[in-house]
Amino acid sequence: MRKKRTAYLLLLPLMGMTALALLACGSVLTQSLGVVPAFGLTEPTLDYYREALADPAFFSALGVSLRVALLSALAAAVLGTALCAALVRVGPGPMGLLIRLPILVPHAVTALFAILLLSQTGLLARWAWALGVISEPGEFPQLLFTPGYGGTILAYLWKEIPFVAYFTLALMAGVSCTLGEAAENLGASPLRAFLTVTLPLSLPAISQAFLIIFLFAFGGYELPLLLGATLPKALPVYAHLAYMHPDLRQRPAAMALYGLILLLSAAMATLYGLLTRHLLRRVEGGQ
Amino acid sequence: MEKIKMKQLTALCLILTMLLSLSACGGKDTPSNALDLSAASWEEIEEAARGTSVTFYGWGGDEDRNNWLASVAAPYMEERYDITLEVVGMNIDEILAKLAGEKEAGSAAGSIDMIWINGENFYSAKENGLLYGAFLDKLPNTGTYIDTEDPETLNDFCMPIEGYEAPYGRAQMVLYNDSAVTPETPASAQELLSYCQQYPGRVTYPALPDFTGSAFVRNIIYEICGWEQFQTMEADYDTVKEAIAPALDYLRSLNPYLWNQGRTFPDASTTVDAMFADGELVLGMSYSPYGVAVGIENGTYTDTTRTFLFENGTIGNTNYMSIAFNAPNPAGAMVVINAMISAELQLSQYEQLRNLPVVSPAKLSVEERAAFDAVDMGRGVLSQEELLTHRLPEMPAKLVPVIEEIWLNEVVGK
Repeated sequence: MRKKRTAYLLLLPLMGMTALALLACGSVLTQSLGVVPAFGLTEPTLDYYREALADPAFFSALGVSLRVALLSALAAAVLGTALCAALVRVGPGPMGLLIRLPILVPHAVTALFAILLLSQTGLLARWAWALGVISEPGEFPQLLFTPGYGGTILAYLWKEIPFVAYFTLALMAGVSCTLGEAAENLGASPLRAFLTVTLPLSLPAISQAFLIIFLFAFGGYELPLLLGATLPKALPVYAHLAYMHPDLRQRPAAMALYGLILLLSAAMATLYGLLTRHLLRRVEGGQ
Repeated sequence: MEKIKMKQLTALCLILTMLLSLSACGGKDTPSNALDLSAASWEEIEEAARGTSVTFYGWGGDEDRNNWLASVAAPYMEERYDITLEVVGMNIDEILAKLAGEKEAGSAAGSIDMIWINGENFYSAKENGLLYGAFLDKLPNTGTYIDTEDPETLNDFCMPIEGYEAPYGRAQMVLYNDSAVTPETPASAQELLSYCQQYPGRVTYPALPDFTGSAFVRNIIYEICGWEQFQTMEADYDTVKEAIAPALDYLRSLNPYLWNQGRTFPDASTTVDAMFADGELVLGMSYSPYGVAVGIENGTYTDTTRTFLFENGTIGNTNYMSIAFNAPNPAGAMVVINAMISAELQLSQYEQLRNLPVVSPAKLSVEERAAFDAVDMGRGVLSQEELLTHRLPEMPAKLVPVIEEIWLNEVVGK
């Protein structure tokens, strides 16, 4: 009993923060329904959602965010798992420290790295110029600021591949040392042991990492702002621009966009949770 | 039993958090100025401001201005009026969002005293009651130095000022390039088009709603459609779109020759300046008419960089200082603003920042005028006379966001 009370006391700050976050969400949703008494808006209405959903710009922004989130999360999950398997083989050591570096670098700084390296006047372009491969900046392939958001996805990958590896490492190392080695002792090739024993048992960690990256990239603001195209904009950039509209009575329109982002994120997290639970049950059932 | 306890505990936590957050919002115990400012004399206001601090929120992207505020303006206020000036760099849209948040929360004493503001933001702030009110006539220096009949003292982007803000500095759109790289100085929209065709991929402008990018597009609209019709236009999307249709055609015809084929535009004017300095672009645009001289002096630009204008003129506007509706120290803000429009600080800005002054030359004393005339504006820039004879008025503030929206829909990538 006493132990429990201490635990609850220790959890107080977290509960407080959660309560505040919920309050903020509530305030976003209230304003998105057109209720901002400070500006004389008091009638609740769904019009702002209707307007948002009738605007093609919303769907192209949604398309950009889904595309960036899906591609970067998928590629990061696959490549990160491969990196993790390699780390388990060679043992963490200095490499284990090295992969933590990108995780620690903030996204805005990552964007700066990308611009310094990959832009048409970046380091790579300058080397290409020095070697005589190109004669002016425009000849260097455009990697950043494209409507396909390739630069944004690359920057996410640089950060998130190590994240998946780091996130999965403890679990995979444990599985590999015990059940994986047992499988190899029983005659399975290393690849077969990995694919049929270690990988399936590491799936919970990998799939959690995938969800974290996916939702982060879906709601991410800095990278698509700094490395993306003027149009189409990523959904959070689009919503923030609406929020910054000088006409303050446009505020509910922006809040409706945030409301949609909230709802979409919650829906995707739930759907994904159901899917992975189903998948994991099958893996565990087959054990 | 245990379950109930836990529920109670959770409920208690929730209530506690809410109480905490409530007291954090409303419980600021700032001593409000007991003085009734509307009735007080200027001496009483100065007295009340003594020993206080004033927060000045505004765009912080100009390092030279930040330095000037810290090294000239702040010590000046400290010495003369015993006021501590705290400058906070923040984009105007964020400042308005902050004020709007404070208004929603109903907090009587806010955190912002003075704001650097103009145009559509002034319009929106005034419309939504985010400003303190009329104070311009209270300031002694308004009568001493400011031309109160000047249209730019009366209206800000066609919005009546009614004393809600005091002029801070004047700006004017200029173009610049490097004569050693490109000998041409396009003097009209048509010449700009052939210039872009000659240097494909090496001209661009900041993506709207960037302040400079937005002004550049309005200037193009003036070039193609004239400026008079916009002074009284309704801020209706379709009306504006029809009126600026030829300018939209022109901007689209520019796209294929712009950086990145006009599919993407740099996010900010500072990015354009940096790309020009880097040699990636051959032309830039600025709202600081003397920016090139400053750039040449600090080595950002080459010695052969020079400023030029469109023959038909470029948009000029004044930027202003205003006071927040919930300013904790309005008396202090008035004292600071009064000092900012004095000949002394305007001259200092003119010297150090090459900022076009807001004081009226006709009201200056002979010595003061001589001091202004003696300032060397540096290389690569135009004379004040050249600028002022090519100065066009701004559009009504309400049109600005409409044009920005139309530009996004009709120009980018088209």
